[in-house]
Amino acid sequence: MILGIETSCDETAAALVTLDGEIKANVVSSQADLHARYGGVVPEVASRRHLELVMPVLREALDEAGATLDEVERVAVTQGPGLVGALLVGLSTAKALAWARRLPLVPVDHLHGHVASLYLEPDPVEPPFICLLASGGHTLLLDVRAYGGFDVLGTTLDDAAGEAFDKGARLLGLGYPGGAAIDRLARGGDATAFSFPVARLDGLDFSFSGVKTSLLYAIRDLGDRLEACRSDLAASYQRAIVRALVQGALAAAEQAGRDTIAVVGGVAANSELRAALPGARFAPLALCTDNAAMIASAGRYSRPLPYPRYLDLDAYASRV
Amino acid sequence: MLGERVSRASTLLEDVDALLRRAGAHANDLEALAVGVGPGSFTGTRIGLAAAQGLALALDIPAAGVSTLDALAAGAPGAQTVIDARRREIFVAGPRVLAPADLALEHGTVLVGDGAIRYRELLEAAGAEVPPDDDERHLPRARFHAALARNFGPAELVEPLYVRQPDARPDK
Ligand SMILES: Nc1ncnc2c1ncn2[C@@H]1O[C@H](COP(=O)(O)OP(=O)(O)OP(=O)(O)O)[C@@H](O)[C@H]1O
Ligand SMILES: [Mg+2]
Repeated sequence: MILGIETSCDETAAALVTLDGEIKANVVSSQADLHARYGGVVPEVASRRHLELVMPVLREALDEAGATLDEVERVAVTQGPGLVGALLVGLSTAKALAWARRLPLVPVDHLHGHVASLYLEPDPVEPPFICLLASGGHTLLLDVRAYGGFDVLGTTLDDAAGEAFDKGARLLGLGYPGGAAIDRLARGGDATAFSFPVARLDGLDFSFSGVKTSLLYAIRDLGDRLEACRSDLAASYQRAIVRALVQGALAAAEQAGRDTIAVVGGVAANSELRAALPGARFAPLALCTDNAAMIASAGRYSRPLPYPRYLDLDAYASRV
Repeated sequence: MLGERVSRASTLLEDVDALLRRAGAHANDLEALAVGVGPGSFTGTRIGLAAAQGLALALDIPAAGVSTLDALAAGAPGAQTVIDARRREIFVAGPRVLAPADLALEHGTVLVGDGAIRYRELLEAAGAEVPPDDDERHLPRARFHAALARNFGPAELVEPLYVRQPDARPDK
C-alpha cells in the first residue's frame, strides 16, 4: 500500500491506497472553520494546526484501512506548491516515517495530485485527455498525455476560479470558503438576472478578476435591494465563471484533438459546472478538494526515491 | 553518548541519518526521543516536532519535549538565555517575548543564545557580557536535550512552545 500525506493548505489529510489504485482509507481534517473567522487561510495558524492534526489523521487512516505500517510499501507526500510552513509539517513527518521504516518516498506535486484523483478505482480515467484543473489557487487547462505528466495549455492570468468563488462569496456575505455556499445559494436564483461578462482572452488563458469587480459594483448599485437579489446575484455570478471554464475546456479539447475532458480541483464539485459538461469526466466529489488519496494516487506514477535519498527534500511554494 | 551533531531544521533528518551511521546504529535501536520544542523559529520548531512524531509513530517509541531555553541554560551554568525571536524581539526564560532593550540586566550578567549574539551591541551597552560568537554556549546542544528529557509519552502530546501568537486579526 501507498501512504499519502497532504498538508499544503488548510486540509490535513492522510490516505492509504493500494498499488492498484483502490482507496483503503481517506481521512481529511479540514481547518476551514478555524480560518473562517479570518476570512481566509492564515499561514501560521494553518501550520500550527497541521502539526496538531497530522498524527491523529495518520492513525485514523491506518484504523480505517484496518492496516499497520508494516503494510505500507511507499510514502507519497505533497512537496508543493502551497504554504511552505504547512507543507513542511507533512514533508517532515513523511520523511521521518519513511526513513525509520526504510521505505521509498515519492515527493508529489500537488497539481499532479489533483489530476491523479482521476486515476483511482472504481472508475479510473485513462490518458490522454484534456484536464481542467480549477481549485483555490489554480485554473489550468492541461493536456494529459500520459500518467506521469502533462503540458499546460492555458492558465489564469489573475484570480483562480475557486478564488473568484471565494471572493464573490465574501462580497455576498457568505463566509469562507465560499464556493459551496454560492453553489447552494445559486440554486434558488435566476442566472439571467444579472450580466457579469468574463473577459475573453486570446488562446486558452482565463481572467477572473473582472467578474469579481462587476459583482462588487452590482452589489453597490443595489443598495438596500440587495437582500432580495442575493440568490440571483449568486446564480448569475456562478453562471459567468462556469461559462468561461466550459468554453475554455471545450476549446482546449478541440485544439489538442482530444475526445475526453476531465475536471478536477475544488471547483469540480460545482453542480452547475458538472451539469454544463455532461460528457466530461469529473473527479469523485470526495476527491475534488484537497485530500491525500489523490497524492497517494500520484505516487503510483512517479519513480520513488529509494531510502534514504529523500532526506534533503525541501518544500516549494510555487512551480517554476 | 554515541554521537552528537548540530543541525539546521532543513537538514535535521540527514544529520540524524549520518549520526546513526557513524554510531553504527539503526533507527530500530532508538528507544526514545528527546525533542526541542522552542521557543525559536516557528517553522524550525515544527520541523523538529513533525520529524519526532513521524519517528515515534514509525518506531513505536515515546518522546519528551525540552525547552530550547532550558537546553541552552544547561550548557551555560550561571548565564541567562536569549533566543532571537525575529521582529526585533527576543525569547527569554519564562518563557517570555520582549524587545532586547526591555530586558532587565544586572551588570556583568552573561548572556548566551543566538539572540544574545544578534543584539550583542545593545546588550553589552546595557552592561551584559556576551561570549564570542563562536562560543559553544550559544548553541542549544542536543546532549542537553537528552539529559533534561523527562516524562516520556506519546509524541503527539509533546507541545511546541511558540510563546508568540500568530499575527492574524479575525474579520469580525
Ligand atoms: N461546489 C463548489 N462550487 C464552486 N467552488 C467550490 C465548490 N466547492 C469548493 N469550491 C472551491 O474550491 C476551492 C478549494 O479547492 P482545493 O482544495 O482544490 O483548492 P486549494 O487546494 O486550496 O488550491 P490549490 O489546489 O490550487 O493549491 C475553494 O476556492 C472553494 O471555494
Ligand atoms: Mg488543492
